[in-house]
Amino acid sequence: MFHWLEKHPFFFAVAVFVTIAFAGLIEILPNFAEASRPVIGTKPYSTLELAGRHVYIKNSCNACHSQLVRPFKSETDRYGHYSLSGEYAYDRPFLWGSKRTGPDLMRVGNYRTTDWHENHMKDPAAVVPGSIMPAYGWLFKNSADIDTAYAEQVTVNKVFAVPYNAEIPMADGSKSTVKLAATLDEAHADALEEAKVIAADMKDQDVKDAVAAGNIPEIVALIAYLNSLK
Amino acid sequence: MDISTFQAYAYFFFTAFMVVVLYSYIYHLYSSQWKGKRDYEKYGDLALHDEIDDHPIEKISENDEKK
Amino acid sequence: MENRPLEYDYTVAKMFMLTTVLLGIVGMLVGVILAWEMAFPAVNTIAGSGLAEYTNFSRLRPLHTDAVIFGFTFSGIWATWYYVGQRVLKVSMAESKFLMFLGKLHFGLYLLVVVSVVVSLLLGITTSKEYAEFEWPIDIAVVVVWVIWGMSIFGLIGIRREKSLYISIWYYIATFLGIAMLYLFNNMEIPTYFASGGIGAWYHSVSMYSGTNDALVQWWYGHNAVAFGFTVPIVAMIYYFLPKESGQAVYSYKLSLLAFWGLMFVYLWAGGHHLLFSTVPDWMQTMGSVFSVVLILPSWGSAINMLLTMKGEWQQVAASPLIKFMILASTFYMFSTLEGPIQAIKSVNALAHFTDWIVGHVHDGVLGWVAFMIMAALFHMAPRVFKREIYSKSLMNTQFWIQTLGVVLYFTSMWIAGITQGMMWRAHDEFGNLAYSFIDTVAVLHPYFTIRAVGGTLYLLGMFLFAYNMYKTMTSGRRVEESELQSASPMGA
Repeated sequence: MFHWLEKHPFFFAVAVFVTIAFAGLIEILPNFAEASRPVIGTKPYSTLELAGRHVYIKNSCNACHSQLVRPFKSETDRYGHYSLSGEYAYDRPFLWGSKRTGPDLMRVGNYRTTDWHENHMKDPAAVVPGSIMPAYGWLFKNSADIDTAYAEQVTVNKVFAVPYNAEIPMADGSKSTVKLAATLDEAHADALEEAKVIAADMKDQDVKDAVAAGNIPEIVALIAYLNSLK
Repeated sequence: MDISTFQAYAYFFFTAFMVVVLYSYIYHLYSSQWKGKRDYEKYGDLALHDEIDDHPIEKISENDEKK
Repeated sequence: MENRPLEYDYTVAKMFMLTTVLLGIVGMLVGVILAWEMAFPAVNTIAGSGLAEYTNFSRLRPLHTDAVIFGFTFSGIWATWYYVGQRVLKVSMAESKFLMFLGKLHFGLYLLVVVSVVVSLLLGITTSKEYAEFEWPIDIAVVVVWVIWGMSIFGLIGIRREKSLYISIWYYIATFLGIAMLYLFNNMEIPTYFASGGIGAWYHSVSMYSGTNDALVQWWYGHNAVAFGFTVPIVAMIYYFLPKESGQAVYSYKLSLLAFWGLMFVYLWAGGHHLLFSTVPDWMQTMGSVFSVVLILPSWGSAINMLLTMKGEWQQVAASPLIKFMILASTFYMFSTLEGPIQAIKSVNALAHFTDWIVGHVHDGVLGWVAFMIMAALFHMAPRVFKREIYSKSLMNTQFWIQTLGVVLYFTSMWIAGITQGMMWRAHDEFGNLAYSFIDTVAVLHPYFTIRAVGGTLYLLGMFLFAYNMYKTMTSGRRVEESELQSASPMGA
């Protein structure tokens, strides 16, 4: 049976492919629809938050920090409620991570502030003695890429119908909307407004000056993203 | 029947099927070697006699003609 | 019939041998830097704080994994394919100008991809998906390289003289098909520049899948890329190189048939075990675990087959460092294929997931099994490709022991680190509060991180010895006759 295949490379290849593809089909595909339904209260990212998410990805924060709270008491005590599938509905890509060299960040917005992040990113060991996390000084100098974040918002809104400019039900029964700017200039203006709120809580004079001059450093976007993780 | 139930069934039946196939194949291999119908082990020499002027274990043209 | 002086043509194999050695050193050097950074964070700014962005742990980490997987390992796979493929099919690449051209094109494009990957990862251009970090332009180039390799496989098979495909060829074909399918599905992405009408970075893309779905597809890929990159093609190598080097035909051809089909079926099912305790359905998690356990059987079929091939010939292990490399590799193969399923058991996974134990598991597999086998294959190929004796046997022996020590230090320290940290994360005091803050669980790891860094450095040292030995073999080894190359490789003192 199989021995015949070895003399017939084409059929051999087909047999191997069918064997390995079958499992994938059964295992992966059918759960797609269900897992992608958002939980009540899950909102898409604003332009600045998304730009911050790009900063997070650019610096591979996910190499050391997970965003997945497992349903154990020790984890929920430490990080908050365990993760639900629908909470990730607007995460493209997912950032669960595979290694916790540092703590989980799934709900870091609940217990860390702008001020804390600013000090921590400049010198982690000064905030958490014994920390092995490197400093991220360049985030205070480089500018966040608002254009690409906006492009991604437009893309997911158009292609995957991510609900921007639409009412989203919140946990307390109220409604909330996340704005998608009509033009790139408007997106920049909106992001800058958001950035000003964050910069007001920061101490770094260069960052404050940059935001006042209409420029958004990467650190501001990153903090906006981290604060949104709840 | 919803999709996840279907998945579970497909998974179990396919696993059972594979186990049967694999074990009957083991039986088939060893019984045909034992009865002398076919010598599988000669193919192990494919790696040892692999100079370009070595004789092929089974020539490609010969077999095609036999068919 | 074959009186003309036709010879196997190893031009392309030689090219890939070069990148195997080079990218192996690059990938492992970056790994060693990372290991020291974890032990001593000051290493993060080793090139000054101005360049910290590029020497920082997080920026280098994907470079390490990708250089070792797609650089070292795949170069090794291709180097051996362009060697083994010709031999067991008994057809020379010199017989087809087209295949020769494809081979060279394969190498050229591959180099181009390597360069663009290095540059883009250092700049932080990444999709963040592990082992699939490349953005869409590089993905397209990868697919092209892959298709060329496929054409070269089936082209060579098409003009073969030997009717039956040898065991190694099955595994190479499976590697080709498996990775092709996985890579394509996992990298489905939409370039935002085009979808948004020309806004933002041209290379940026967004995944077609979101959240949990993305995770499912990614780990289906992540796990199986390991299967089809680190297991299947390396098994292809050992099925050829161990019998050839030892002069013993494979112990049981029938067992190899069973092991192959068993592995094909089972490996793909096991991807779900990376998702334990996440939000995927319960039954799927159990299924992933159970199949991971079943996976031991076919994986061990191959390893046992290899060990039995040496039956009655064990004196060769003592006599030849080359056989040592291969026997140690298959031992590590058995070992890490046992360790993997253990980690997939739910209660073990609850402890091990997110810890350094996983890192340890990956490295005893890659350093012990993959890298040892690839180096053994290159050692076996060198005398036949360069028509020279291996430069130094004693250097090989030294390398073997240094690297073995390195691997042992690596995985033992990571086991202890992982289990210690996992236990500390879940420890509660008598009032039901968490016993340790997170930083406590980091500080305790310092000695293990240091031992790991030492282990990694030893392994890298062995790589340099390897590179030196290969270089000397190529340039100044004693010239050998065809008759000396039948089985055991000739080695100088």
